[in-house]
Amino acid sequence: MADVVIQTTNLSKELTSSLLRRKVRILSGLDLSVTKGETFGLIGPNGAGKTTSIKLMLGLMRPTEGQAEILGLPAGDKRALARLGYLPENPYFYSHLTGREFLDFAGQLFGIEKKLRRERAGELIKTVGLSQAADMQMRKYSKGMLQRLGIAQSLINEPELIFWDEPMSGLDPIGRRDVRQILLSLKEKGTTIFFNSHLLPDVNEVCDRVGVMCKGRMVVQEKVKNISGGGDYKDLEDFFLSVIAHAEDGSADKNDKASAKTGEEAVS
Amino acid sequence: MTDNSSNAKLPVNSLEPILAIALNTFRETVRDRIVYALILFAAIVTVLGIILGSLSVGQDIRILKDIGLAAISLIGGIIAVFAGTNLVYKELERRTIYIIFTKPVSGWQFVLGKYIGLCLCVLVMVAAMGAFLTIIVAAVGGGLAGANFLDQLKEISQELSLIYLELLFVTALATFFSTFSTPVMSVLFTLSIWLAGHLGESLLELGKLSQNPFLAQCLSVIFYCLPDFAGLTRIRGHLLYGTVPGMEVLTYLITYVLAYVLMLLVLAAIVTERKEFT
Repeated sequence: MADVVIQTTNLSKELTSSLLRRKVRILSGLDLSVTKGETFGLIGPNGAGKTTSIKLMLGLMRPTEGQAEILGLPAGDKRALARLGYLPENPYFYSHLTGREFLDFAGQLFGIEKKLRRERAGELIKTVGLSQAADMQMRKYSKGMLQRLGIAQSLINEPELIFWDEPMSGLDPIGRRDVRQILLSLKEKGTTIFFNSHLLPDVNEVCDRVGVMCKGRMVVQEKVKNISGGGDYKDLEDFFLSVIAHAEDGSADKNDKASAKTGEEAVS
Repeated sequence: MTDNSSNAKLPVNSLEPILAIALNTFRETVRDRIVYALILFAAIVTVLGIILGSLSVGQDIRILKDIGLAAISLIGGIIAVFAGTNLVYKELERRTIYIIFTKPVSGWQFVLGKYIGLCLCVLVMVAAMGAFLTIIVAAVGGGLAGANFLDQLKEISQELSLIYLELLFVTALATFFSTFSTPVMSVLFTLSIWLAGHLGESLLELGKLSQNPFLAQCLSVIFYCLPDFAGLTRIRGHLLYGTVPGMEVLTYLITYVLAYVLMLLVLAAIVTERKEFT
């Protein structure tokens, strides 16, 4: 059996609304299993619970119910965090630092020694195409440049698992192509990749498996080759729209076209 | 890329993340232009001290020093309070906190790094303003050369050490409040405690004046909980008149401040550790 890198069991989260003190369930019973070297794409409409899922897996939030294990350790464990990389959604960093200083800062947080982190920062600046702007303060960066820098900082520790939240957001077509290439090269090296995206063609090109979330629930998990390799759907977009339409009708579990599979079924 | 496992060094107990956060906080504060405007203001006030001093009879140096040191204390305090109360809030608002806490960094490392960075910045600012004051005082009081300058430097350094000790305290208060409160509320809390700490002995007096033993007891408890800034000011007063406090007093003062700072930072670390980043 393949090594399981991400494992969540009945992962759920409730938040209390600030005004009426009402409890709102933003994630319900997420069961997910991602194996070593797999590229998993989490897709869903806005507010589906994708970012919350990542935050729970990283320990930024604590679950109301259930649990998450990352690299065989409880979510948020420092030993696991030392081996993963994270890109937040719409990253905004320290405007007073230059890009190079920021990468050095990120490397130092991992305890990487000075010489090595400088070498890596230099390599990553080239990889993400920021050589011209590396010594410019981040207050002068465009959204796309910040996104590229965010990607670079998530790779400074050469992680074996990455969590990227909307990595293509804010990027022009060239930037998207570059990020796809980075993802494919990481995939070749055996890095496990977990990312959220709204850009289905990119997900289709890079992912081995996708999960569709709607209203805080995982509606379906499926291998990409089963979706785009002919059969019932034209492409991933057709699959996604069909699944969401059924989920919003409340009939996701019964639908025979997109039969919901658990993570383990889809992997096996 | 190379073997992943070799890079998975866990810096949980190392100083690296603390140094990284401290350096980042220091850079952030010293690259803020408002800080320089405040220092300029302190310099202007110090120079005005020359005019005020010249109006006195033979007390020009004393007045110049008093005004200069008061300006340093005030500006240092403003930097400590306003930068300190924004420490955690800014990280939350800009969502840079996600970058820190998805790396192997603990709450205490974050709080300590932030505190050290800000204290370092305050130290540099106080030293710069102190150097300017020393030059002005020496120039007015007999020339910049030789023993006169060194004497002034020694006296002003002693005063500045006590001011800095108080600012360490204020920075710790601001850091603590910033972990759970908005900047406006943190500023109010910090300034209130700072002020109350200077007026602490009035609480004891009030207790004595009231005929109610319960009220006197309550005021006495509040007095002992509040930081004793008045004690620091008293010793600064002695220093101004050339009385250097003994080693026992200095040891007590430093221990008192460090214990208070440690307590506030531990509380701040506990709050940060329990925080959720939604």
